[in-house]
Amino acid sequence: MRTLNFAGRNIKELVRDPLSIIFSLALPLFLLFIFKQINIPSPSYALDNFTPGIIVFSFSFVSMFTAILIAKDRSTSFLTRLAVSPMKPHEYVSGYVLALLPPVCVQVVAVLALALILGLKPPWGVLLALPVALVISLPFIALGILFGSITNEKAASGVSSIVVQLVSFTSGMYFDRSLVGDGFAVVCEVLPFESALTLLKAALNLDLSVIEPRNIIVFCAYTVAFFVLSVVLFNKNMSKGK
Amino acid sequence: MTAIKTQGLTKKYKDVVAVSDLSLEIDEGEIFALLGVNGAGKTTTIKMLSTLIPPSSGKAEIFGMDAVKDKDAIRPLMGVSPQETAVAPALTVKENLEFMAGVYGVNGKSATDELIERFGLSEVLGRKAKTLSGGWQRKLSLALALVNSPRLLFLDEPTLGLDVLARRQLWKEVESLKSKTTILLTTHYIEEAESLATKVAMLNKGKLAAAGTVDELKEKYGAASLEEAFVAAARGGDENANA
Repeated sequence: MRTLNFAGRNIKELVRDPLSIIFSLALPLFLLFIFKQINIPSPSYALDNFTPGIIVFSFSFVSMFTAILIAKDRSTSFLTRLAVSPMKPHEYVSGYVLALLPPVCVQVVAVLALALILGLKPPWGVLLALPVALVISLPFIALGILFGSITNEKAASGVSSIVVQLVSFTSGMYFDRSLVGDGFAVVCEVLPFESALTLLKAALNLDLSVIEPRNIIVFCAYTVAFFVLSVVLFNKNMSKGK
Repeated sequence: MTAIKTQGLTKKYKDVVAVSDLSLEIDEGEIFALLGVNGAGKTTTIKMLSTLIPPSSGKAEIFGMDAVKDKDAIRPLMGVSPQETAVAPALTVKENLEFMAGVYGVNGKSATDELIERFGLSEVLGRKAKTLSGGWQRKLSLALALVNSPRLLFLDEPTLGLDVLARRQLWKEVESLKSKTTILLTTHYIEEAESLATKVAMLNKGKLAAAGTVDELKEKYGAASLEEAFVAAARGGDENANA
């Protein structure tokens, strides 16, 4: 019950800061629309490839506004008040995760809806893409908790923008990694963003053959690592304030 | 009954000793003020006693329970109003109260209705906390700390940054809790300690300089006012005495 109570509070804080929500929703939709209009002759920009790319890209903004929310809670001592209440450590983290899932759902549904309007085929993959996308969003939420636990309110957005850049350059959403060289390809394989995109792409296109075992291992390893780190750092720093 | 008892309570951060060998006793129902200049160790003391941070050495007991080992049993019995107002900024006053009621698992409506009436919050009930004036935010912060009807209340610089009228109003609220709730408040306003507290402890560079009632402290230092006694205590070295 306390988790739901805390999640409810977090949702209210998020939706009442419309700038971050609008930004994290409007920018991905704008990019999807504009790149479709430009009609770039590259498979990366075909709707079945670019739509999951845009969804993963939009999750980097989830990391950002999660980090900002938590950094703000720490700076106002709100978490100090809760730290001496009967709330347990796991209830904080699950309260943040639960609060982030509805905005993530809205993001995914909005991007998929626009992609369908723009001519995405086959449409049935969207039914599988939604639950898979929710799972894909988890390491991004954990990264947001992690950054919010170690930065102050001003630095949170700056540090989180690293995720935005990493997704853009290493997920393969804008270009095929093989175009940039073997060294860069290794970086893409080691980081979780390309694997996240591959998993979502497979779900949307109902083509599981594109998934390599490496994608599942890398994605799961990072998700677990980000959550463990975020829980440890959150508990350590939640009442440290500014 | 003793609400708080500390023995040799010490907190070190690397080479810095924030609180050193603090021993005091606070009886249930008292308003006890920790007085000291900035950096005297007041907030660190509150953090240790409110189970937020463990001491480096020494011991603290809250209602006979160990502040480190028994913190899960202690926490539902206390309320804390930190130095910053610590409210949820985008939530309305009502939502803040309901949220805290949910945190403590108390009946939201009856708990919040009583606090709304006591603090006169009805006129700002629908306003977001971040839009409130400093005085209202402090009132809300105090109300949030009382949502679980705590036996022990920690107030860390409760009137910091308030104008004189808002400060007097908040003093009235704190005084109304006298005898029903044990209150430990930190302040660097001498007149606040003098006006509210049944007993005062003076901290200087993390050490207990003196403790007792206002009259006892004045008598002890041959001072005409608590401020003079405070200055004398701050200059006169340390004295680790039981309150």
